[in-house]
Formats: sequence, structure tokens, C-alpha cells
Amino acid sequence: MRATDNQGSFLNRISIRRNQVVSMDGNHEQELEDLELFQKHVADRFSDLLLPQPSSSSSASGDSPADATSPADALLSIAWFRKLLDAFLCCEAEFKAVLVMGRDPAQFAKAPLDRLIPELLDRAVKALDVCNAITHGVELVRHWQKLAQIAVTALEQRPIGEGQVRRAKKALTTLLTSMAFDDKESHHGKSTDRNWSFGRRGGGAANKDKTAGNFRSLSWNVAKSWSASKQIQAMSSNLIAPRGGEPTGLALPVYVMSTVLVFVMWALVAAIPCQERTGLPTHFPVPRQLGWAQPVIGLQEKIGEEWKKKEKKGTCGLLEEIQKMEKLSQGLVEFADGFQFPAETDDVAAMVAELAEICGKMEEGLVPLQQQVREVFHRIVRSRAEVLDVLDQVGKLSTPVPY
Amino acid sequence: MGDVMEDLSSITPTNECEEHVFIAARHMLKALGASKNVSNDLRRLLADVDIHLSRRTNITETVLDGTREVEERLKLAQEKVMRWESNRSMIWASGHEEASEYLQAVYEIQRLMESLRSSPSSSSGKQKELLDRAHSVLQMAMERLELELLHILAQNKQSFEPEYVSFRSCEEDFVSDVSIVSTEDESIGDTSRRDSSGTESENHIVDLVHPDIISYIKSIANVMFASHYDQEFCHAFTNFWKDALDEYFFTLGIDKLSIEGLLKMEWNCLNCKINKWIRAVKFIIRVYLAGEKRLFDQVLGEFGSVYSTCFVEASKGSMLCMLNFGEAMAIGTRRPEKLFKLLDMYEVLADLLQDVDSLFSSEIGSFIRTEFHELLMKLGDTVRATFMEFGHEVALYPSTNPCNRGVVHPLTKYVMNYINVIVEYASSLNLLLGGVQDGAELVPFDQNISLDNFCPLAHHLRSLMSYLEHNLDKKSRLYKDSSLKHIFMMNNLYYMVQKVRVSKLVTLVGGEWIREYTAKFQNHATNYERGTWKPVLSLLMDDENKTRKSILKERYRSFNISFEEVYKNQTGWFIPDTELRKDLQISISQKVIHAYRTFIGKNSSVIDEKHIKYTADELENFLFDLFEGSPMRLHSIHKR
Repeated sequence: MRATDNQGSFLNRISIRRNQVVSMDGNHEQELEDLELFQKHVADRFSDLLLPQPSSSSSASGDSPADATSPADALLSIAWFRKLLDAFLCCEAEFKAVLVMGRDPAQFAKAPLDRLIPELLDRAVKALDVCNAITHGVELVRHWQKLAQIAVTALEQRPIGEGQVRRAKKALTTLLTSMAFDDKESHHGKSTDRNWSFGRRGGGAANKDKTAGNFRSLSWNVAKSWSASKQIQAMSSNLIAPRGGEPTGLALPVYVMSTVLVFVMWALVAAIPCQERTGLPTHFPVPRQLGWAQPVIGLQEKIGEEWKKKEKKGTCGLLEEIQKMEKLSQGLVEFADGFQFPAETDDVAAMVAELAEICGKMEEGLVPLQQQVREVFHRIVRSRAEVLDVLDQVGKLSTPVPY
Repeated sequence: MGDVMEDLSSITPTNECEEHVFIAARHMLKALGASKNVSNDLRRLLADVDIHLSRRTNITETVLDGTREVEERLKLAQEKVMRWESNRSMIWASGHEEASEYLQAVYEIQRLMESLRSSPSSSSGKQKELLDRAHSVLQMAMERLELELLHILAQNKQSFEPEYVSFRSCEEDFVSDVSIVSTEDESIGDTSRRDSSGTESENHIVDLVHPDIISYIKSIANVMFASHYDQEFCHAFTNFWKDALDEYFFTLGIDKLSIEGLLKMEWNCLNCKINKWIRAVKFIIRVYLAGEKRLFDQVLGEFGSVYSTCFVEASKGSMLCMLNFGEAMAIGTRRPEKLFKLLDMYEVLADLLQDVDSLFSSEIGSFIRTEFHELLMKLGDTVRATFMEFGHEVALYPSTNPCNRGVVHPLTKYVMNYINVIVEYASSLNLLLGGVQDGAELVPFDQNISLDNFCPLAHHLRSLMSYLEHNLDKKSRLYKDSSLKHIFMMNNLYYMVQKVRVSKLVTLVGGEWIREYTAKFQNHATNYERGTWKPVLSLLMDDENKTRKSILKERYRSFNISFEEVYKNQTGWFIPDTELRKDLQISISQKVIHAYRTFIGKNSSVIDEKHIKYTADELENFLFDLFEGSPMRLHSIHKR
């Protein structure tokens, strides 16, 4: 991958240069240069994310006509998120190089780092919980994918009969109810009622029981009181750009990285269902004058707009595939409701094909995405540990062991 | 018809070998059925037999010679399916017979559908219509079967209340609040020892559902797979068990907590959660999931890899949840009191590694497998870091006031009890500490340790005790009285040696260490004697001026004053160990009494009996009041 190459070469350069200049007085200039390079790379990566790659249509799955209108890695698609997480991992690696490598630990004990670092660590822990929520959210999306897949299987049969239509409709209704249920953000309240009640079921009522049963399996695997939106709010509340035109040393990279982290977590929460998203901020302030911030602000505005629409419309997640799946499912349920045998099925075929394509994308992308989220999780854990180690050193420097 | 009832799961579309017999039989039945003088009862019976036979008929046979017959048979099957649509009771709950009949009806529909599709006139309007109808009935049946499946599962799910569900109330039964200032000897010695693992129930696999109904589940799986409704079956089955596992966590008292919440949690509370987690992890992986996998294999095994895919789907969420708890522990603060719990967690995971590897051996399970391995590694790192951190704390534990009466310092007790518990985890720690270097290489005893004691843990424990010794040395400097300083060091070093001697530690740190530290505390005893008694006894020593009475008298008076002073001071000092106290008292008394007797004997002419303040015996008795911990004064107790 391109991004990974960048990372490797960058790290190499840094470490080689550090070794060369370690005893020289030019350290400060070196630092400034590294810092600028870091910001430039952040800017580059996010610019890439802002502008869909024109070359992307030549990717492997490029022969479908749908690709002409939406590139393979369109904003908020699974592919785009995978790119975003890649970018995050690269930025993070560079950040750590700037922050920790060859750094005098004593700096961590001085202002402004003595305040910024604990905040950074706190944000990191919050991000871990967001990652977990997202991992489970992806699991829910995979559940939807399976339901959609059933509908596709049923409706791909020819001729389409009432049986197939019923089969598809059942799956899609469950899917849509689950999506709507998610959107009501009320999982945690209901999931406490965990008794299966089949005793009084009758032929008709059973369907509902069954559907409700499905939801229970999707109860969030996080604490009941946990709220994604509160978490994002807390992460962004103390995110303040270092002031003044003077070089601010490490305060700036800490700010850059924190912004990137909050942005990534925010985008994930907006796109992928997870517990309690009511009141998710539509943006958090990033000063426009900072060069690297432009593409981040651009992305934030686009996604923020989408989120506002979602709040009106009631979509269960901004992930492109989810939105399309939802729309197609609604369309297919409508078709099913008006179905009479034998029916005209040409328009249905197009919808089914599109749904199948989305299922394909999910099948292909969701598990790797989930793994990538986990990778981000582990990376944050590791970096946090490394920063703590430095802090530890600082602590021990101030109270040296006498032997 | 009784023989149809054996095993529901064996009901499948059957073979062609006897088809000719069946064809003949069916023709006879048809002829009989067409006859006018047949009672209604008999007619129904004949129809049933017909269906029964048709089940065994080769579907590709051209026996279905007419659309009309297909229609008839479809109608019959449909009736059977429809009959249950309006019925409020469950089919499988109504008995084998009902279930079997229902399954046969579904297979019949399948057969009819296949023959309709393969029939040469399949494009005719009638055929299409029939096929569509068959599809609808099949769909209805499948929905019904899914419900039946969930009902069977819900009704027959075994609930295990493992004996340790009672540990939900464990909140405070482990008093593991071993903050570094706790002083009681037993504060950690017997509390944090892990529960002896391996109770019987943990080592056999449980049945998640009653074994008798597996054939029911299997029969539904078979018919749904045969009808190409495998997606629906797997979805319902997997989700059911996903729920069940989730629910089971709840039963075991495992709450879902955010990592942030766990990191902020009070240690006592966390400690209790760790205990629950450890038992839950062990039970869930070794017993519950093993049972679940077996069930998935029994039900879905014959359909290929789908069984392991479904199993992973059903357990992934909960496994991740469980692992996240471990992740939170691994990144938490490295407080010494956490070490044993971390070790418990580490050991339980290490112990389960093979189980996890085999449970999630499939490609799709590699995610969980990797996560598990990674967590084990992280916990190992945290254990190591926490251990090293402990050494650091021992070295840096601040000294403010000297320990009253020169007794054993709480730190010494804490560290030695702590080390005693550490030994229980020797094999894990040896693994984890191998290759870890710390600054302790400079400690002198490292040069002459015997080879059999050279394991990483022993090395680290010796370092740890040398940190302790250094710290004690620092603390001893707080005493103004250098004799008390020696008593303090002697007490503490003796305590360390005793603790090592009576525990498993002795084999680990070795006789060499004991000899070295015994020498150390003895050295302090000697230094004490020298410091306190040499000046006192020097008053009784011979010198050139012995003939001068006034000087002798003056020295005798000085001796008495000095002795009284020492008595007043040192009766208040304390040597907690009686043996050590006796030894020192005897050693002092030997020297003092000998010198005293000699002095009195030699100078009896100068210091006659009426000038003698204390007899030698009296002095000896006084010496046994030393180090008892309650200050006394001589003139107040002396008769004169």
C-alpha cells in the first residue's frame, strides 16, 4: 500500500537523521522540520480522503455500471473508511516518532505537555471504547448483510413467485425493523428483558416474538450507560489549538494528532451504528488558518451535513452501504407489498442486483474493516503505553534510585 | 406406520432401489381409491399410505404423470402445512408423529417442486402456477420451522448454575486490599492464593440442550438445508446461541463495562470483578463453548464449514467482550497489589490457550485466536512491568520517622509476605522474567550463587530483597542512637531470613542467601554489643591505676550509672522474636557478668559488700529485661 510505504520511509528518515544530529546544536531546527513534515503528511493524507481518487474506478470491482457514478471509495463507503483508518495508523506512527523518539523525557513534565499529555491519554482511553462500540456496530451491519443476502437469494430466483417474495419480505422487514430500532437508540433500555416468552405464542403473534428475539442478540456489548455521542463530546471538549504564531513545540503535534483521532472516531460513530448517538456534535472547531486542517475541515463539513440530514431522515448510519441497503430494502418491501403473481420483475431485478452488489461489498469489506478497527485499538493501546513509559521515566528521574 | 417414528433426523428424501415396488403399490392404491364402495375412513388411510409411499419414490421418475396428480399431492401437503398455521400449539411439542408428518409434507413439497421444474412442460401456465404455490407453501413451512426451532431451543436450553454462581456474593470475601502499608503478617499470605482450580464440573463438556432433542434440531436443519433455507436456519440458530451466551455472562455476574470505567474503578471492586472474570472465562471457554461447538457440530457438521463459521459468529461478540476486560486490566496502573490478580489472569489464559486454539481453529476463528494470544502477551508484559514496579517501590518507599522501639518495619513484613505469595507463581514468573535485566547485577551475592538457584525469579527476588535491605539501611539512619539502629537492622534482617527459611523461598533463593543474611544480622548484633557495651565494660577493665581506690570506686559508680542508663533505654526496645531476644540477652550477659564478677572479685578489697549496688545475679536478671518492649527504671524497682 502507498500509505504504508510512506510510513516506512518516513520513520527511516527520522531515525537516521536523529542519529546524525543527536550531538549537534541544530536539534531545534530538526524538530521544526520534522513537525512541518508531519503536518504536511497529515494534510496530504486527508486531502486524498477528501477527493475521491479518479483512478479508483479502475479497481478490481470496477466493471459494474454503478461505479461510474460512485467511485469505489466514495466518501463514507466501507472502502473510504478503510482508507481513513490506514491514514490514521500512518499519522499515528509519525506522531509517535515526533513525540517520543529521541525526545528528552523531561519535556513531558513541563508546560504545556504536562497538561496536554494526560489529556491525550484520556482521549486515547475514550477512543478505545469507541473502537469497541464500532467493532460491535460492524457486527450488527454484518447481521443486516445476512438478512439482505437472504432477500437477494430469494429474489434472484426466476420466476419470482409469491413464496420468494414472502421470503424476501420477511428478511427485509426484520432488517428494516432492526435498522429503525437501532435508530431509536433504545437498545440498552429494552435488552434487560431477557426472557424468551414462547408460552403464549400463536401463529400470527409468533412473528413478532421472533423479530424481537433477533434484536436481543444485538444488545450492545458495552456498558449500559455508555454513550457514543457523550464520548465524542468529551474527547473534543478540551481540544484547543495552541495559541500564538510562535513555534509551540510539541503542543502542536499533540493537537494535530488529537484532532485526527477525534475526527476519525467521530466519523466512525456517525457512519456505523453504535450505542446512543443522540446529540452527536456535527462539528468541532478546527482553526482554518492551519494548513493541515483544511482537508479535515472539508471532510467534517461534508459529513456534518450528512449527519444533519440523517437526524431529520432517520437513517441508521451514514455508511454509504448502509444507506443504500436501507433504501433498496424499503423499495423491495414496497414491491413485495404490491406483488401479484405473475408480475413484471425487470425493475426489481435492478434493485436486487444493486443489493447484491452492496452485500458483496460488505462481504468483502466488513471483516477487514472490523480487523482494522481492532488494529487501531491495539495501536492506541501500544502508543499509550509508550507515552506512559516516558512519563514513568520522568517520574523516576525526579526521584532517582540511589544505587 | 410406527416405524417412521424412530429418529426424526433420519427423515430425508430416500433412494431409488425399491421404486418399482412402490410404483406398483401406488397404482393399486389409486385403483382402490377410485373404487366407489370404500368408506371415508379407509379412503383417508389410503391417502396417507399413498403419501408415505410417495416419500420413498424417486422424484425424477416419470411417475408424476400428470399435472393433476401433482396438484393433488401438493394440495395434500399444503393442507398439512396449513393445518398448523391456525393451530396455536407447537408441532414438535405435539409429539414425534406430528413432527414426522410435517417433515414429510415439506419433503413432499420439495419433491413436487423439483419434478415441476424438471418436467418437460414446465413453462406451461399451470405448471408455473403450481410451482409458485409450492414455493408459497414451502415458505410458510420454513417460517414455521424457524419458529419451531427457536421454540425447541428455548424450551430445552439447559441452564447450568455452576456451584460458583454463588460467588456473585463474593464481594468482600477476598480481603486483598494489600496496600503497601498493611502490617499484619497474614495480610496477603493466605488471601490472594488462587482458588484450587479444576473442580470436576470445569473439566467436562456440558450439553447446551437436552441430548434427546438434538435429533429434533437436526431434523429441522436437514429439511431447511434441503430446501435451500440454510441461511435462515443458520441465522436463527446462531443468533439464538449468541443471545444465550450473552445471557449467560449476565448469569455469571459479568457486567459489560467500558474500558474507561474499568480504569477508574476502585481496586476492591475491580478485584471482585477479576475473580468473577477468571471463573467465568474458565467455565465459558473450557466447558460452555466446548459444549456449544459440539452442538454446532452435531447439528451442522455434515454441511461442511458452515458449522465452524456459525460457531464463531455465535461466540465472537462475547469473546471480544471478555477479552476487552483483559485489555483494560493490561493497560491499567501497575500497582503492586494488582500483581497476583494479573498473574491469576495470565495463568488462566495461558491455561486456556490450547482450548482456544482448538475452539477457533478455523480460518474465520483466527481473529479470536490472535486476539487471545495477543492479550496473553500483553498481560504477561503487564505482570512483568508490575513486578519491576514493585521493586522500584520497595527501593523508594519513603522513610519519615524511625520505627518505634526498633521493631520490624511494616515494609519488611509487606515485602516478605508479598514475596512468599510470589513464589506460588514461580513457573509463570520465571517464564515472564527470563531475560529481563535490572540494575541488580551489581549486588555482590550474585557472584557466588549456586547454579541450581539461577532462575530468573530467584535472581529478581534476591534483587528485591537487596532493595529492601538498602531501604532499611536508609531508614536505620533515622535513629539517633546507633545501637538502636543495629537492633532495628538485626530485627528486620532476622525477620527476612526467618521468612525465607520457613517457606518455599528457601529452595528458590538458596542456602547461600540465608548464610549471607544470617551473617548480616549477626554482624549487626555484634555491632550493637560493641556500641552499647564496650564503653560500659571498659569501666571494669584493668588498667595501670588499679591501686588507686578512689579511681576504682569512681569507675564502679560510673559503671552502675551507665548500666542503669542502658537498662532504662533498652528495656523499652523490642526484639519481637523470643529466640533472637534470648540469644542476644545471653550473649550480653555472658560478657557483662563475666567482666563484672572479675572486677568485683579482683577489687573486693576496695569495693566491699556494702558498697556493692547490684549482685552479679541481680545484674543478670536485669539483662533479661532488655528488649522486652516496656521501658523500666532500675532505681524504682530496686530494693535499696
